[in-house]
Amino acid sequence: MDAGRVLERTCSLSRFGARHRFRKVTIMSENSANGVSRFAVELGVAALTGAFGAAVCHGSLDIGAGWTEMGPDAGYFPFYIGLLIVFGSLVNIAQAFLKHRGTGEIFIDAGRAKVVASFLLPLVAFGAIAAWLGLYVGTALYIAATMVFQGRYKWWIALPAGLGVSAAFFLIFEIGFQVPLLKGPVEAWFGIY
Amino acid sequence: MENIGLLIDGFGHILSWNHIMLMMVGVTLGILVGVLPGLGAPNGVSLLLPLTFSMDPISAIILLSCMYWGALFGGSTTSILFNIPGEPSSVATTFDGYPMAKAGQASRALTLAFVSAGLGALAGVVMITLLSGWVANFALKFSSPEYFAVYFLAFASFISMGAQSPFKTLVSMMLGFALASIGMDTISGNLRLTFDIPELIKGVSFLIAVMGLFGIGELLLTTEEGLRFEGIKARVKLAEIGRTLIEIPRYWLTIARSTIIGIWMGITPAGPTAASFMSYGVARRSARDKSLFGKGDPRGVVAPETADHSAGTSALLPMLALGVPGSATAAVMMGGLMIWGLTPGPMLFADRPDFVWGLIASMYLGNVVAVFLVIATVPLYASILRVPFSIIGPIIVAVIFSGAYQVVNSVSDIFLVIGFGLLGYVFKKLDYPLAPLVLAMVLGDKAEDAFRQSMLMSGGSLDIFWSNALVAGLMTLGLVLLLSPLAFWLIGTLRKRRDDVAPHGDGNAAV
Repeated sequence: MDAGRVLERTCSLSRFGARHRFRKVTIMSENSANGVSRFAVELGVAALTGAFGAAVCHGSLDIGAGWTEMGPDAGYFPFYIGLLIVFGSLVNIAQAFLKHRGTGEIFIDAGRAKVVASFLLPLVAFGAIAAWLGLYVGTALYIAATMVFQGRYKWWIALPAGLGVSAAFFLIFEIGFQVPLLKGPVEAWFGIY
Repeated sequence: MENIGLLIDGFGHILSWNHIMLMMVGVTLGILVGVLPGLGAPNGVSLLLPLTFSMDPISAIILLSCMYWGALFGGSTTSILFNIPGEPSSVATTFDGYPMAKAGQASRALTLAFVSAGLGALAGVVMITLLSGWVANFALKFSSPEYFAVYFLAFASFISMGAQSPFKTLVSMMLGFALASIGMDTISGNLRLTFDIPELIKGVSFLIAVMGLFGIGELLLTTEEGLRFEGIKARVKLAEIGRTLIEIPRYWLTIARSTIIGIWMGITPAGPTAASFMSYGVARRSARDKSLFGKGDPRGVVAPETADHSAGTSALLPMLALGVPGSATAAVMMGGLMIWGLTPGPMLFADRPDFVWGLIASMYLGNVVAVFLVIATVPLYASILRVPFSIIGPIIVAVIFSGAYQVVNSVSDIFLVIGFGLLGYVFKKLDYPLAPLVLAMVLGDKAEDAFRQSMLMSGGSLDIFWSNALVAGLMTLGLVLLLSPLAFWLIGTLRKRRDDVAPHGDGNAAV
């Protein structure tokens, strides 16, 4: 408990690099099987939104947030939006201290984090493969892979299922609605554009 | 009575087999989207939107709005049969719907839900028929300051009426505005907030945000909670449907009350979710015998369902007549209208009466079609949910990715969707509301234009927002709403302080 408190303190001191902090807390918690405290995540998110707000203000000032002879400049409105984001984030940080510090609320524990990661990582890989090989190949591979590794299906069920979903997408989007999907080198071999 | 004539014209525009077919397709897709975890009404409409760009606007809006009705119905199905709300707005239905189904009254609960939902929706459409022309005429008097005041009022009411912390609502909403202003500035032509990243020049589409926040985010939550459908075998028996239909008039008071709550919450941007909870609460509080609530009281199904659907329908009134959507889904549809070159608002009633009244007429028909379709197909959808999540989940992801790519044929949008998904997941877990973000993304440009034009008119003075009775009234109302959480908080703390003669300072930090 004490260690957790100290960790939270140090976390709140380092305003930037929130992502780094998440990782650190997760590693810590895997040992204690405790999980990331909600307080830390509240602070992290509020710091991130605050940083985004500051970036918006900065970007607006860059293009001019003042008044020109044509009226308000392009950055005029976004500048105040950015200020409001910073203001709201600061209050949220304060409220996190009031409401969530030391309550022992857990944002996510190690077991659940693993489950979420097992869904999220393939999803990110799918995105990367889709950007490289196109959405049809990506879809077929992704569905087949998740069926094999998570659903524990045999590959000779999973692969046709993946290909089937991909083919169904082709029929629905490309032929039915005439909206093209992203295609890559594999389709080019088959002469489908 | 002018409206009735226009409505009949509207029916003339939409009564064709083609459109009826589209309604059935829309409702079917909608139920599917409502039933599946991770896909909801806003998401479904966003995914379908790029596919409708090649259609004529009337057919497209029929398809989209019917998908919305279908999704509302689908959400209640899973609430009752699986105790898993397919939509946030059907959470309240689980309280009594699932116990009823568990007690072997699944058909009764489903019929009650669908019919009262249909009644609520019809009441909402009748309200739209009667009021829309009037509201639109009224809004013709609006110029830029009034429009900004209306937007301000809409956003202020989010902050005051939201269940979440007002500052979280504020941050979420302002993030939406900031995201909306990324890319080319429509007035000056300057590039804004792109931070020299070429992918950001085209801006961030609200469709991508919706798909990520509501789609991927919801899927992540579902996986974390470990989805298990311990459903109840549902076979809808005709005899039981008949018996339930006879039972319905008994609940007239609950239905009437819930309709009023729903219509009010739908027109104001509180939306269907708040409406269904409030309606459930009111029904329970006013019931003489409360003992059955939470254990399968039919009124506990009727009340939230009626309010949910009447709010869902009524949310289209401010969208059509003022250009201010009352719910996230209405916001997405409004974004769609703008992509088709139809700007919602009073001018739409003058310029395209065929479109507006066709849409209103389709709401009548669509809801009737939806009630029948949903009763007929419930067992089918219940069986879809028995397909393991390790198959359904990835397919939904693939659909979302395809949809994201189709918005503007951009690969970077796929990664943006993942980013929004993470944001949605974290925000949902920390009780940041998502609807204000979407609403602000759709309305951002319009609100900004209204503000900048007002500033141009006044030469930079804020006095223009108090220059006549109308705009001053709207702004004052907005400010009152904005400050109301503060007032309540002050009253609350003062009262607490008086109650327990505070032994530990201000007693606030301990809460």
